[in-house]
Amino acid sequence: MNPVLSMAVKDIRVLFRDKLGAFFIIGFPICMGLFFGLIMNPSSSSGSGKIAIAVVDQDNTDTSRKFIESLQENDSVELTVENLKSAKNSVRRGKRVALLVLEEGFGETAGVFWEPPPTIQLGVDPSRTAESGMLQGLIMEAIGQLSSQRFQDSDKMRDYLKRSRQSITKDEEISAADRLLMNSFFSSVEGMIGSIESLQNDSEEPAARSGMSDGFQFANIKTIDVSRKIDPRSATGQLLKLRSRWDISFPQAMMWGVMSCVAGFAISIARERSRGTMLRLQIAPLSRSQILAGKALACFLTVILVIAFMTILGLFLGMKPNHFGLLAIAAFCVAYCFVGIMMVMSVLGKTEASVNGAGWAINMVMAMVGGAMIPVMFMPAFIKQFSVVSPIKWSILSIEGAIWREFSLAEMLLPCGILLAFGTAGLLVGALIISKDSN
Amino acid sequence: MTDQPFIEARELIKSYGEHRAVDGLSFGINRGETFGFLGPNGAGKTTTIGMLVGLLKPDSGQVIVHGRNPALADVRRSIGIAPQSLSLYDELTAIENLEFFGSLYGLKGTTLKKRVTWSLEFAELNDRRKDRVGTFSGGMKRRLNIAVALIHEPDILLLDEPTVGVDPQSRNHIFESIQGLQNQGMTILYTTHYMEEAQRLCDRVAIVDHGKLLALDTVQNLIEQHGGQSIVTGELNFCPDGLSFPGECDSKNFRFESNQPLKAVAELTGQGVKFQTLGIAQPDLECVFLALTGRSLRDQ
Repeated sequence: MNPVLSMAVKDIRVLFRDKLGAFFIIGFPICMGLFFGLIMNPSSSSGSGKIAIAVVDQDNTDTSRKFIESLQENDSVELTVENLKSAKNSVRRGKRVALLVLEEGFGETAGVFWEPPPTIQLGVDPSRTAESGMLQGLIMEAIGQLSSQRFQDSDKMRDYLKRSRQSITKDEEISAADRLLMNSFFSSVEGMIGSIESLQNDSEEPAARSGMSDGFQFANIKTIDVSRKIDPRSATGQLLKLRSRWDISFPQAMMWGVMSCVAGFAISIARERSRGTMLRLQIAPLSRSQILAGKALACFLTVILVIAFMTILGLFLGMKPNHFGLLAIAAFCVAYCFVGIMMVMSVLGKTEASVNGAGWAINMVMAMVGGAMIPVMFMPAFIKQFSVVSPIKWSILSIEGAIWREFSLAEMLLPCGILLAFGTAGLLVGALIISKDSN
Repeated sequence: MTDQPFIEARELIKSYGEHRAVDGLSFGINRGETFGFLGPNGAGKTTTIGMLVGLLKPDSGQVIVHGRNPALADVRRSIGIAPQSLSLYDELTAIENLEFFGSLYGLKGTTLKKRVTWSLEFAELNDRRKDRVGTFSGGMKRRLNIAVALIHEPDILLLDEPTVGVDPQSRNHIFESIQGLQNQGMTILYTTHYMEEAQRLCDRVAIVDHGKLLALDTVQNLIEQHGGQSIVTGELNFCPDGLSFPGECDSKNFRFESNQPLKAVAELTGQGVKFQTLGIAQPDLECVFLALTGRSLRDQ
């Protein structure tokens, strides 16, 4: 095996033999990612797992109320009746997933299959489009139940048929043949209502819901726009691109793993000195640059491993990276950058304790300012400006760019270029100081 | 042994700031020789070793190993070192340590496997080969430390205090191992605080202090030149009247010094002296060090 590769394999092996060290590199980031992913859930539901819906009842009839009651019977939704303005605001602010508007006249035609279907306005939070289909299904189910209820209420249905007959009789535009046909149909419906009554008398079994919905349209669902005009560069605009609850938490968590790697490898150089193995390495027929390259390669591979592992875990949980190629480029740049930082950290002290202390102090500042604790987009403006000095900020930006920010290759150049510059500067400074110390 | 030293140090000088760690040190080590390097802490031994293996560049002077500069990779390939600190990875097993250090010297495949097997047998750690070094006793670690230095079959072995902190059993094992290497003709540089080790193992010994070479010769010659006379002590049973007794003597106890203690005792016996008890203390390297520096090596 090539001596540099051999050194890298040895260092990775030593690092992962330390159970606590391995936990901080892999286990801790997983915990962070899962924890923050769960609490940063973009869901606007009440937290009970139900879909929160605001209903605007402009019809305000028994039928509309029955429709609402029917919807409420579903365990997967949580309804609140509000006025239109309040309901729209609720959805826009993310308090509700959707709003339903039952227009005036809803009760006249809802569930009557020979009348035009009632119009129901549906406005869904743009970030929750996945729930839109499910909501439409729930609406249809509720209308179906309404239709069933209408047939089971024979008095009302007979009254409704009577009014329909009168309306047809008065309408001169309807031909005699059509009038005869429709009256014949209404007679058939009356006969059916009579049959249902006798069935209900024979048995208290409710009419089967299935089959009642075939052959006609229950409702005309009209979507309405509830989105505000949002600047796509704003934090809210950026967040609209989120496709999974893990999109923000996992890039952050990756950085904790990366920082643990860097701290671990920075200490390893001091440890080689203190335990005397550095002497053996220096006496072996290796150049100083080969020894440093071995350390750098080990750190680089471990950082890549951490990012790859977290990505795979994220994929398993539902994270959908926008572009795997760009993610690979981001991972390369992040690993290169932090190899350089590791080199600088390793020369900050002569002992393991001093390197460890200094390394984590730097890590903490980078993490706080760079957004590994709180995303930069949620930080006050002055800290946002200061965050440009933190490689963590650029690392998260490049990873997020590939995962959910929909960065193009050109847009990736800035964060990746800065990371490469940080890495190169770190490698040069670290190697120079190590070389000077050795002499 | 040949006239041309295998390792040669010429007028080595090395300073750290104002402190001169090595001050004009010159010596040569012959091929197949076991060379002892004796001196207290701060005497400049480690700095000298650093220069011998090409790790440190002397401020002035020159080191030649096998006619070449030890800083060259090829020359360093011929050197094995067992540092005083146990230079092993506790997290790795004995085999993993040996394989790793072997790979740094370009060993691979069956060659590496054979050398690992040989090294494990040398250190008598075959049954613990898959155990992590962190679980080893001090003696086992010391043995593995030497074995790692030998993994690449070096021509020169540098042993820096190889018996510090080991139990008597491991110490004996290390002595026997080193004697085995001597028999194979290996050139060994041995630094130690223990005079008896230097006396037992070394063909020649260099005594250094404050970066300067105080003496260099075989153990016997050093003792003869700097160790002083043997000390004869005991109790008398009978001493003839009028006999001129050498040294101090009261009515019963006596003490005198002599270059030839047995001859002196035989002469006294011939003159009618009868001894109750008799003890002869021969000078050793401790006496040499005391004579050369005015202080005891063990007190450093």
